[in-house]
Amino acid sequence: MEEEQLVAGLRAKDRKTTDYLYEKYSRALFAVISRIVHDSDIAEEVFHDSFVKIIKKIDFYDESKGRLYTWMANICRNSAIDKLRSKEISQSSKTNTIDDFVYGMESKSGTVEQTDTIGVRELMDQLNEDQRFIIEYIYFKGYTHSEISEEFEIPLGTVKSRVRASLQVLKKNLDRI
Amino acid sequence: MDIQSYIASGKLELFLLGELNEREREEVLALSKQYPEIKKELDELEEAMFAFDELTGSKPSARVKDNIFSSLESEFRKEETSKPNPTPASVGAKVVKMSPWKPFAVAASIVAILASATALFYANKFYERDQQFTALMQEQNVMADNLNQVKLDYEQKDSQLDKIVAGDYKRVEMKGEGFEMQKDAKVDVFWDQGANEVFVAVNNLNSLSDEFDYQLWAIGDDGPIGIGLVNPGEKFTLQQMQAVAQAGAFAITIEPKGGSESPTLEKLVVLGEVA
Repeated sequence: MEEEQLVAGLRAKDRKTTDYLYEKYSRALFAVISRIVHDSDIAEEVFHDSFVKIIKKIDFYDESKGRLYTWMANICRNSAIDKLRSKEISQSSKTNTIDDFVYGMESKSGTVEQTDTIGVRELMDQLNEDQRFIIEYIYFKGYTHSEISEEFEIPLGTVKSRVRASLQVLKKNLDRI
Repeated sequence: MDIQSYIASGKLELFLLGELNEREREEVLALSKQYPEIKKELDELEEAMFAFDELTGSKPSARVKDNIFSSLESEFRKEETSKPNPTPASVGAKVVKMSPWKPFAVAASIVAILASATALFYANKFYERDQQFTALMQEQNVMADNLNQVKLDYEQKDSQLDKIVAGDYKRVEMKGEGFEMQKDAKVDVFWDQGANEVFVAVNNLNSLSDEFDYQLWAIGDDGPIGIGLVNPGEKFTLQQMQAVAQAGAFAITIEPKGGSESPTLEKLVVLGEVA
């Protein structure tokens, strides 16, 4: 299904299109959230709210301002960050690291997850220390680049170029997995 | 402007992460429309982010999907019942405009499906008719066979009747009275003394077990001569026997299967003297 059709179907509140959207994107969007919110019950709650919000607010999505996935991922990411910073889980969230995440994935049963986990670990091994740090804070701890800059006293330009470099590494290596 | 250094600045990544302010966002959007390289990089980065998310994620549980769809239930229904709604209408028009081949494809598909359905329907009809036709042909063959059989039977009877009528047949009644075997047995012999031909017609004769046969004897000056086996089942039909030129009496005995050289007199069933 083309993105235009998809968006048109969502705006028409078509159930099948919504189902298609769910099947295509739920895994990735849930990943965006569960990277940041580790408690699986809370992550599912955030995902529920985010997905419902995406469907209800689809009229606010503007194609000229970016693609659908980016818009949806940002809704999920922001909801997850909001949840993370709310009082209810701020205590337990301090340990969010890539290793925690990969370890968490490995501890789940199922061969499919296992295969994916190996892929993630390989992918992470491609990053140098600085890049790994950036991915960890942006993807797993929900930091913005300016927060990283402030908290760790790294110049904003440096953070930006490291973000760029890390994502380039991921982009180049994703094809090989 | 230097496109490569703009791409290298990391702004596109921050754009995708939703971390740019409104002014910077507008800038990225404007430049991506102006420069295909920037648009391409943006698309590739988004693909990579999606792929990364897809890779690192696991599906939420089925319960979550159910909950989401029941939360959205009122959304779906509201829209379905409040038609005509301007939003779906304009969206519909937009879809048509953007991909005009779709309605034709849909129409063509419908025509193809209808044509296939019609073809199937008639193919099915034809098959049914073909089956019926084959069945009728088989029935007709059976009837033709029956007719042939009847015709043969008729011809046989006709020729027998001809013989009886045209020939000089003497009827010799053989009866079981006076013998111990079958008191009510009755068999007629028709004998044309001129043509030497002999027929028997069973009137009443018990059936035998498989080891035995009824044997007809012509008793003449040289003693009894076996002239054939009599089938007790074929009642009131003429069974042709071997030719006999001279006989004073006819008799039937029960003999081992296939008949004997000489009659077993203890098993004499019927006897009739030539008048």
